[in-house]
Amino acid sequence: MISLTELTKDYGTVMAVNKLSLNVNAGEIYGFIGPNGAGKTTTIRMMGGILAPTSGTIIIGGVDMAKNPVAGKKMIGFVPDRPFLYEKLTGMEFLRFSADLYDVPRDTFPHRSQELMKQFALWNWADELIEAYSHGMKQRLIIASALLHDPKILIIDEPMVGLDPAAVHMVKDILKELAANQITIFISTHTLSIAEDLCHRIGLIHKGTLLAQGNLDELKRIANLGEAKLEEVFLTIIKENTFI
Amino acid sequence: MNNIITLLRPRILSSINGLRQGNKKNNWARILMYGTLGIVFWIGTFIIFYRVLFYFQSVQDFGNILAMKLLSMIIITFFALLLFSNIINCLSHLYLSQDLPLVHSLPVSSKDIFVSRWMISTFDSSWMILAFSLPMFLSYGLIYKANTTYYVIFLMAMVFMCFIASALSSILVLFGAQILPAGRIRTILIILGVMMVMIIILVMRLTRPEQLVNPDSFASVVLYFNSMQTPNSPFLPTTWISDAIKAALHNETNTYLLNTALAGTFAFMLIFFNNFTAQVSYFSGFSKSQTTPRRLFAPLKYKGLDWESLLNFLPRESKAFAVKEIRTFFRDSSLWPQLFLMAALIAIYIYNFSVLPLDNTPIKTIYLQNIFSFLNIGLAASVLAAISARFVFPAVSMEGEAFWIIQAAPIQTRTFLWIKFFLYYIPLIILAEVLVVSSNLLLKVSPFMMILSVLTIFCLVPAVVGLGIGMGAVYANFKSENPANVITSFGGLLFMILSFALIAMVIILEAGPVYKIFMADLRGQSLSLIQIVWIFCSFTLAIILCLLSIFYPIHLGEKSLTIK
Repeated sequence: MISLTELTKDYGTVMAVNKLSLNVNAGEIYGFIGPNGAGKTTTIRMMGGILAPTSGTIIIGGVDMAKNPVAGKKMIGFVPDRPFLYEKLTGMEFLRFSADLYDVPRDTFPHRSQELMKQFALWNWADELIEAYSHGMKQRLIIASALLHDPKILIIDEPMVGLDPAAVHMVKDILKELAANQITIFISTHTLSIAEDLCHRIGLIHKGTLLAQGNLDELKRIANLGEAKLEEVFLTIIKENTFI
Repeated sequence: MNNIITLLRPRILSSINGLRQGNKKNNWARILMYGTLGIVFWIGTFIIFYRVLFYFQSVQDFGNILAMKLLSMIIITFFALLLFSNIINCLSHLYLSQDLPLVHSLPVSSKDIFVSRWMISTFDSSWMILAFSLPMFLSYGLIYKANTTYYVIFLMAMVFMCFIASALSSILVLFGAQILPAGRIRTILIILGVMMVMIIILVMRLTRPEQLVNPDSFASVVLYFNSMQTPNSPFLPTTWISDAIKAALHNETNTYLLNTALAGTFAFMLIFFNNFTAQVSYFSGFSKSQTTPRRLFAPLKYKGLDWESLLNFLPRESKAFAVKEIRTFFRDSSLWPQLFLMAALIAIYIYNFSVLPLDNTPIKTIYLQNIFSFLNIGLAASVLAAISARFVFPAVSMEGEAFWIIQAAPIQTRTFLWIKFFLYYIPLIILAEVLVVSSNLLLKVSPFMMILSVLTIFCLVPAVVGLGIGMGAVYANFKSENPANVITSFGGLLFMILSFALIAMVIILEAGPVYKIFMADLRGQSLSLIQIVWIFCSFTLAIILCLLSIFYPIHLGEKSLTIK
């Protein structure tokens, strides 16, 4: 569902992403981990159509994002790392705005929006202005709006930042359920326990280069570690810096 | 003291870093443009004041009274401006800035935070008034041939006035923040301030100064001059400051020393009281400002009635944007005062045409009516350009940090810009046409002038709106704390200059042909072939210019916003 080939982003002073290639299958949860400034957010923003790559291709659900970004974006539910929203709209008004942009059928919107608002514990706040929401509530609202049009692919940058433990648990359950329904999920995160817990495969990026990828066992093998947590694997691979 | 200097350092360093070479925001064009505008304004103010005061000097008896009254009025106006700008700045610097939570978490006392913030607020509120008071007072000094003492006393008096206004505002804000959350005070104060300005404008206009040309009203003018000689209240700081400057002009040592001392001691007393109040109440007010803002007015709900359905004729994504823009616009209380001000200006605009004394002039009325009507096109378009500067140019920047939503959405940048264009074009074309048609009706102009006005405005409005949306996209600032202020940026000034240049060019292109057609009609003559070709070329060029202004800036804006 997601195919990145030789993806490169050169900011002139920094090579943020360097010839990154990877594939993610339908129904797979792919975790993207790496230290600060590794190129995770840049990669995610290029996949979401917010940033243009310097070179390389991004294929989303068979659509080349460079050739037909609008068709590609229709398949994506995008959640950025920071929850900036239209503060003067209410939560429900924002969902309607998203529904109109993503062409969600008018007859299904009332039921679907109510369902999502309840699922993300926002129903009691649906008619309050977003400026009154906490950081976690805004994050939950963005995730809800990303799911509103039943995307085939979910691209999430740091999904758990600002969420309380109950919300983290809830989001994890929702993501697992979505994957079970063949939704492809691409997550960037710093929280290694979440990646370990949630992801079918993990890619480790450092200084713009993909150092290693695979499931936890494969990563342990790559790092020449036996029984180890992802944290140890991560630190070993980052330290060696030359696995792929 | 060390803590205060440390707290001031980020602001000083940010200013220095902003001036560094290589910073894209500060290229030479930008510096040159701001510098030139500042110098032109400064020199213009000096020339106007010098000429006015020079003229006053030539008027026996009344001349000196008028000059001194003008000086008092300038001081009172500056003081009012200082108070208003200090209140707004104090609220922002003391309670609303985004870095305040970080600053309050540092191991420094809230008193030190208050003092450093108050100093920044005082500087921000005062420097411009101080800078632009210089040409006015320099012209006073030159006309009255004042000695060096005048300039020293003037500077001291102005600095004391800035401190008095700043300390007074700060005390008011400190008390206000105990009662209301800071965000609410700002909204209420801005609304009250603008309403006050509106009332002053309306009252001044409704007194009909044009009646001064009527000899019957001369008796009241003499009474007015008599009243001007009445001294101001001796308990007001503005009286001490204007008296100190007046006395320094006339070299009356005792008077200027007394008044400067009064202003100075009052300023220091207020600063002391301000610090004392801050020690007692600043932190509790700051805590209160951190509470969640609630809506000033609850949403109006009518069962079965939904204003959104009025927009059902629009394509779905356009309607989504329209609803979002309208809601955001009317819920952003910082925009309300601008709406009130706009309404007042339009009311005065139309009222002015209704009171024009056309019948009392020696010039032929039909000629004058049509000249006014033609100039009215430019005037209405200029009003429109000013409104566009406030609302259309910042429209793209208003998306703010939420612009990622548009970037990630399945919608093309071009579509986004064109939706924005039509959202502002429709209300503005209605407004502009209402302005010209109503003023033309009041002027009772010929059908030709009426059609010309309507058509010219019909072409100019989309051109100005296109220019605003396009340039607003080229110079978009999505990170600004207050996107409405992008008009004061380099791009904003450039937009103002270009939009006025466009209006001027269209008017110039039309002026010659319109005069020929009008005169030929008046004299019952027909136009020659060369004249017809010339008229055709002028109007075609004007239309091409308008079309270019619609499409080219939007194309540039699209290129600028397209992901890189």
